[in-house]
Amino acid sequence: MNSSSLATPDRFGNSTPRFNKRMMGLRQSGSLQPGVVMLLVLFFCIYAGYRSGDFWSALNWQLLAQPLAEAGLVSLGMMFVIASGGIDLSAGAIIGVAAVTGGIAAHHHLPVPAIEAATLAAGLLCGAFNGILIGVFRLSSILVTLGSMILFSGIALAISDGNSFAGFPDGVLWWNDAALLGIPLEFLLFLATAAVAAVLLRYTLWGHYVIAVGSNRVAARYSGYPVALTVFGVYTFEGLLCGMTGILLVARLASARADMGQGLMLMAIAAVVLGGAPIAGGSASVMATLAGVAAFYIVQDGLLLLDVPPFVQHALTSVLLLVAVAVGNLLQGNRR
Amino acid sequence: MKSPGSLARFGEGFYRHEMKLAALLLLLGIALAVAAPRFFSPANLALLARSMGVLLMVSVGMLNVILSGGIDVSAGAILAVVSVVLVRLGNHGLPASTVLPLGLLTGAALGAVNAALIAELRIPPIVATLGTAGLFRGLLLEWTQGEWESSIPAWLNAVGSPRWGGLDASVLAAALLMLASACILHRTQIGRSLFRFGDSPVAAARTGVSPRQPVYLAYVSLGILTSIGAVFYAAQLGAVQGNAANGYELTVIAAVVLGGADILGGRGSLLGTFLGVLLLCSLEQALVLLHVATFWQNIATGAVVLLGVILSTAERLHGKLLPQQSPSA
Repeated sequence: MNSSSLATPDRFGNSTPRFNKRMMGLRQSGSLQPGVVMLLVLFFCIYAGYRSGDFWSALNWQLLAQPLAEAGLVSLGMMFVIASGGIDLSAGAIIGVAAVTGGIAAHHHLPVPAIEAATLAAGLLCGAFNGILIGVFRLSSILVTLGSMILFSGIALAISDGNSFAGFPDGVLWWNDAALLGIPLEFLLFLATAAVAAVLLRYTLWGHYVIAVGSNRVAARYSGYPVALTVFGVYTFEGLLCGMTGILLVARLASARADMGQGLMLMAIAAVVLGGAPIAGGSASVMATLAGVAAFYIVQDGLLLLDVPPFVQHALTSVLLLVAVAVGNLLQGNRR
Repeated sequence: MKSPGSLARFGEGFYRHEMKLAALLLLLGIALAVAAPRFFSPANLALLARSMGVLLMVSVGMLNVILSGGIDVSAGAILAVVSVVLVRLGNHGLPASTVLPLGLLTGAALGAVNAALIAELRIPPIVATLGTAGLFRGLLLEWTQGEWESSIPAWLNAVGSPRWGGLDASVLAAALLMLASACILHRTQIGRSLFRFGDSPVAAARTGVSPRQPVYLAYVSLGILTSIGAVFYAAQLGAVQGNAANGYELTVIAAVVLGGADILGGRGSLLGTFLGVLLLCSLEQALVLLHVATFWQNIATGAVVLLGVILSTAERLHGKLLPQQSPSA
């Protein structure tokens, strides 16, 4: 390798050593996988639109946008968790605790803001519990969240006595019905949250710390980064987003149950990974996560319209995950 | 080498976690002797042993996977697939001598699929098994169309029926499988390589361990042990369905982790796994005897798992000023 290849001119014509460029790339997901995923989904959309006249209808996309927004919120939180080198198996259980807490608040005829605040606070507290054990006490995230998943689902069942809550005031259900220019408000809330997440990730110190901790926790500590606080923040943020998802789920289904978020945890992990984030941490991109979660829901919805049996849909979305990760791996391997 | 695996080093650190678990069990035992003396009646102890069999078999398989530095969240799906295969084929009138090998083969094949994705395509274990869990479960549900197989063949029923003073064949099978696993893990080259590979794949490769063999060993053995477990699972329940054993893998992982296995691989013991299963099962049994509602059982189980994690991590960090080396898991 000659010396000229070590220095590449940037857009201002200045030569930057490649070493620096790679350091800058630390924040970017260098993976080709989001591109692969979007290409696969695009082909799928063309095929689904060709086979089913309903696929490109506005109603289909409106109906699709709501569950996508719920899963998307959890995925954004999970993205930070995975970027920090962890994993959160308790996300689904936290949604259950949050939704049930909202149900209890509604049962006691509290005003709407109080119901929503209680839901958010329940999610936040559950996340903070994980954050303390993982960030401050440095316990392994997969083990802590495995335990707290069982614990939280037990708490959700115990405080709801296994019942489901209904009879929410209209103010809570408003989230489901409201739309702006035909776009469901749930989806706009998700986009706004994604924008906030992108700013947090790219332009704040905390975002930098999260990536640094995920890349190398020991190095981050020796660099004087507040590792414990960063990790605590990651899980608390994830808890807060799970609380938001709880509010949206309660609004859409008009009921609250302890097992409400059950499928969303694995979906969120799969969406983040589908977007190309390495499961070992150290890299994250909001756009890639959006691509991942959108791919899942678009494909699932398309398969539904193509009259594929529901259980096969489930199997095929899993195959999509495996194929995308395998192809992404192969491309990555070829580039090196 | 962190894992001498012989009794010579007993008490010198390697079995320290197991000692703590045993102390925890002793405390639970004393509390139970006071609060619910019925727990120690022979009938209840036999029931406890029967409830442990299947969990123990799958956990021993999961221990192999965790020792290799992996994780398998498709174990519950494999358990469901194999038990439905066994019951469906049995109900079609095929003899046990055909159905049982086919069941084992199914389990081994599903395990091999996981291993191939991880070893050949280099997909991280949690992602690969997350995908196959959805795949196996989806295909199974499509096959059964969500319907129950509400009767099981007579020979399978006979396997699950209690004999020998309340014990059934699952207890004997679990004991034999534990013994066999101990021999393979500690007394064979390939078993030892699992520890070395899990500790550090790079270092293991330098000492001549293949980068693929331990992965296949771990996941295929989990598949086989799960399908043996599926025989007793179906036999004890008497009915199976496509959604059977949903979330079972998390109980299994909790048991193994409670038993002191390092989720990063290379460290763990059969004794610890046994104690972890014993603790989870006796806790569940005790709460039933004490007439505690199911919701509180979850809370207690979660708390015990967290306690186990704190115990095992505390000793690993003991005396270390450096932060944890690998926070990734």
